[in-house]
Amino acid sequence: MSKEAPLSVAERDFILDALHQNVRLDGRGLDQFRPLSVSFGNEYGHVKLRLGKTSLVVRISAEVTKPRDDRPFDGLFNIALELSAMGSPAWENGRSNDLEAYVSHILDRVIRHSNALDTESLCIIQGVSCWNIRADVHVLDFDGNLTDAACIGVMAGLQHFRRPDAVVKDGQVVVYGVEERVPVALNITQKPLSTTFHSFDEGKTVILDATRKEEQASEGELVIGINNAGDVCFLSKFAGDPIDALFVVNKSNVAQEKVKEINAMVDKVLQADLARRAKKGMAEEAQAENDREVSPNDPFV
Amino acid sequence: MRTGQPRLGSQNRIAAYFAAVVSDESVRECFAGPAAFPILPNKRVYFARNRGDGEDKEEVEAKVQALGVTATSKYMGEQWLVHVPGTHTRSATHHPQKNCVSNFVTFTTRHQATTTFIMVGPTASLAPLYRADGSSSYTCPATGYELLGAVNAPVELPARRDALKPEEATVEVFVKPGTTTAGVGERYVEGILRSVLATVILGREKGLPRRGVVITLAIVGGEDVERGDSYLTLLPALLHTSLLALLSATVPLSMTFSATLLGVTKSGIIIPDPSAADAKAMASLHALAFSSKGHLLLNESQGRFEFDTWEAVRQKALAICQNTAVSADGDVSMAEGAEGAPLHDFVRETVEDQVHRDYPWKIDAV
Repeated sequence: MSKEAPLSVAERDFILDALHQNVRLDGRGLDQFRPLSVSFGNEYGHVKLRLGKTSLVVRISAEVTKPRDDRPFDGLFNIALELSAMGSPAWENGRSNDLEAYVSHILDRVIRHSNALDTESLCIIQGVSCWNIRADVHVLDFDGNLTDAACIGVMAGLQHFRRPDAVVKDGQVVVYGVEERVPVALNITQKPLSTTFHSFDEGKTVILDATRKEEQASEGELVIGINNAGDVCFLSKFAGDPIDALFVVNKSNVAQEKVKEINAMVDKVLQADLARRAKKGMAEEAQAENDREVSPNDPFV
Repeated sequence: MRTGQPRLGSQNRIAAYFAAVVSDESVRECFAGPAAFPILPNKRVYFARNRGDGEDKEEVEAKVQALGVTATSKYMGEQWLVHVPGTHTRSATHHPQKNCVSNFVTFTTRHQATTTFIMVGPTASLAPLYRADGSSSYTCPATGYELLGAVNAPVELPARRDALKPEEATVEVFVKPGTTTAGVGERYVEGILRSVLATVILGREKGLPRRGVVITLAIVGGEDVERGDSYLTLLPALLHTSLLALLSATVPLSMTFSATLLGVTKSGIIIPDPSAADAKAMASLHALAFSSKGHLLLNESQGRFEFDTWEAVRQKALAICQNTAVSADGDVSMAEGAEGAPLHDFVRETVEDQVHRDYPWKIDAV
């Protein structure tokens, strides 16, 4: 199978008729995200994200490489999204498809090209060595709105990730292990996220965070990449029916509200996780004694 | 199932090589001395608390800390799973109860809240994903790997029509590394996995010929295999994940199997399940898989070793997988080092658990 199973006529009509009365099948409002849950794994930069039934894992990794010749001051950052048959039976392993190219493009534009991660801070020695930050997105379940989910996941991962400390000593790069020196957080300049809207009814109804079925029934889509301050860093209306310019303005405001909400939510989870790590780390450091059995009769206790 | 005991969350239960239901007092005894719970290195202890009195994370950790133990807790299923870093215990002296699924050890309970000791082997769950036909997640605490497996079967493989065999299903395996792009190492391990799984899958059953069985394995947690390193340390985990995913997708199989990794140190000591770091220091590494009928399905080794060493490794592996080793004096002994339940039971219990969860109405009716 290389295509998602198409919607049946009855199913499509049902979705459209319901939307005609401003009702969505899962009972959400038109401008409402599905329940979002973000959690972090054991390693730094390991994010598990679930948006409704869409779920993915993002892993951030870093290695030292040589910078590009035309950009000797910049580090490297790339986002790797590879769709495998795990996310949907319609995707074939080892073959890229349209969705993969489309989502990768949006992630590139929203996160990479907006300079959300300051790549200049990744430079170690000009023209010789720099950090290469890599974000891997593993799609586990696909139920619509992959772009927004992946965007939130990658941004959360970048904020959570800590790279090993590297120092230049006599022209030599020394990379310290996580145990030797406190690992360094990445320099995040802004937190842009994408929000995807789908239009129905010749652009009269526009919904946020469509499920897979809603995506299939939709007439057109609009992606707005925006940060907390309301700076639009990406706006696209690739295909589909035209929508009113006023909608774009209105929806940008909605998008900004949503991005603020999501960023606040991610931040809360992030702080909780970092606090937990700090507490654990300090307890281990403060412990001077070796592992041994402590008997109640021990005179030193 | 035993009645009258709190039912362990499935994640915990399958993980349990043994467990003991003890009161707060016994926990103190366990950690205090060898009387109740002998302490040995190299095994982690987890213990889970029933959430009976509605306590939250902080409360659980505070209670455990009051016993003089630092611990981190995690809410799993119906219980708190509390991990005590640096704690060690041994299972050999505990006597598993005959009538329970896992090897539980019961201590007298004096309080309402019960505490359960669990020694953690691999943990797995079936069908964690929505879209794939069958899926499984697998965590190996010894090596720290977290794997996800998905199976789609039977599916059309339109792009490879010429490569399809007319009389049986085509098995496709795809290994997706966590933080790199798939390369030669992944292609190689895919080949090994495919050859093992193809012998087990009944590809000539109705509906399977000329279709594909697509198995996707993603390494979602734990360190990556370095480029150029072999996948030997991950092989048993990958095999278990794919087997459980196949079972979850109800792909017809001729038999199940279990696999294990053994390392031989330079002084000739056989160590089961070495971590990735330990594996580097080993003189030789051996990954072996045995079918449910005891056939050797997979034998991958690396390093220098003699045939006698390999034979010893094979016997140990068989003991770990099947628990039916015949020792020199002819006794059928419990596998030492296998810590109670054999790996084969682990696969069985994971599925059993899922069935209990999926068909309670049917089981109750019987």
